[in-house]
Amino acid sequence: MPYQAEISRENPTCFLFVIDQSGSMDEITETGRSKAAFVADVLNKTLYTLVTNCSKADGVRNYFDLGVIAYGGSEVISGFGGVLSGDIVHPIHAISEHTLRVEERRKKMDDGAGGVIELKTKFPVWFDPKSAGGTPMRAALSKTIETVAHWCESHPGSYPPTILHVTDGQSTDGAPEEMADGLRQISTKDGQTLLFNLHVNTGGGLEIVFPISETGLNDEYSRMLFRMSSPLPAHLAKFAGDKGYAIADGSRGFIFNGDPQCIVDFFEIGTRPKLVADR
Amino acid sequence: MPPRSRLPLAFSVPKVEDRHNEDSFHRSTKGVYALSDGASVSFDSASWARILVRRYTQDPEFTREWLSAAISEFRQLYDRDSLPWMQQASFDKGSFASLLGVRIIDGGRLIQVLSVGDSLAVLCDGDRIKATFPLSAASEFTRSPQLICTNPTENAFLDEVDLEYDLVADWTFRGLKQPALLCMTDALGHWLLSQRDCDPSPISVLRKVRTPKAFARFVQEERAAGRMKRDDTTLMALW
Repeated sequence: MPYQAEISRENPTCFLFVIDQSGSMDEITETGRSKAAFVADVLNKTLYTLVTNCSKADGVRNYFDLGVIAYGGSEVISGFGGVLSGDIVHPIHAISEHTLRVEERRKKMDDGAGGVIELKTKFPVWFDPKSAGGTPMRAALSKTIETVAHWCESHPGSYPPTILHVTDGQSTDGAPEEMADGLRQISTKDGQTLLFNLHVNTGGGLEIVFPISETGLNDEYSRMLFRMSSPLPAHLAKFAGDKGYAIADGSRGFIFNGDPQCIVDFFEIGTRPKLVADR
Repeated sequence: MPPRSRLPLAFSVPKVEDRHNEDSFHRSTKGVYALSDGASVSFDSASWARILVRRYTQDPEFTREWLSAAISEFRQLYDRDSLPWMQQASFDKGSFASLLGVRIIDGGRLIQVLSVGDSLAVLCDGDRIKATFPLSAASEFTRSPQLICTNPTENAFLDEVDLEYDLVADWTFRGLKQPALLCMTDALGHWLLSQRDCDPSPISVLRKVRTPKAFARFVQEERAAGRMKRDDTTLMALW
């Protein structure tokens, strides 16, 4: 059975975020912010959650390797800045140590005695929104293949990498499907690389979430993104079902015309680890 | 002859040799014993587990006030505002641990067992299992048991239960020819329930374990045979 490997410091897994930064990502969503800004915020929150889940009083445990590939215009680059920009994938302790900045926010918490207290909270930022130029999706997936192949070679016994690809438009550098097929073929002993695709939209349209077939997808572009997407493994399918999504056998990790809530859920579901050692 | 005034034997081995053990146990001479399994994927579950077992053996009346006081003690261990962001976030999220507490009253006329989480208490007569609490089958162990947390929001599940009844089992040594009481964390509990119909019985196997070294060897052998999950593993045994 694939996707059963326990995630531990000895056998971490990898989450790789592939983010479209083309010009159209500057369109404003219903939240009043651009798609690029909203996706950047959700990505920062996702990294924050992953780091927090690995943090203990004595340090950050390396359960995950994380990377961001950003693409737009003619560029396919690491989405991290500063010292992290030299490589795509980094162990989570390095991510935790190298933020772009740490902002101060406020949150309310139960005080344990029936009341609520407001606490100052530090919120790290790694990724700033950017949007310019075309959509070199093929080149981005090619870079992803190179990165994932290298990672799997050095982690043959690990839970395989999960790729969360976020885009709002069609590739401008050629058909990406064969790249996606190649990417999903790369595997560890525990299974093939998982590729989940999220198409974000601002203009309404029918939202399609975790479909099981191409039926109901109106154009070739959405059908292609469906074919590019991996089926959800059982534990992710269950988690998506628990969040209220209609999930069936064979549901793919694919959302088309996703609204802001879908973006949040896509990241949360996609980065849900199967089994972290030592619950 | 029921066990009465002796302290139970207690052994614990970490998941990996030389790594920190997040299980904790405490035994008082008044017949109150507790063990706790700190969840590794949380901020400082080892300290939280230690606080829970020490407080339980000092005061075994588990109430909401009891829990609030334990949380306050834990929070005083750290200066939240001076923690780096990732540790502050993890501190806020909370530390999680099970709590299994036992009170032997009147020489075993009444044995009161309190359990939150998936640590297991077992009442035996000779090599026979008479009762287990809170779980009764290996299949009931899950990856995400409800544990006690230093973040009160995570303890909302306790609002749904009656602390005096739903989390408690009352047993007795009376009428048992060779009574024994075992308390263990989940890896050993899962092993015991999955082996309960085996020959030799898991109780007779555990009965032979009398020293820390013997316990470490037993755990190592069962892990190697694939019969026991690799996790911090603790046993308290009142034979």
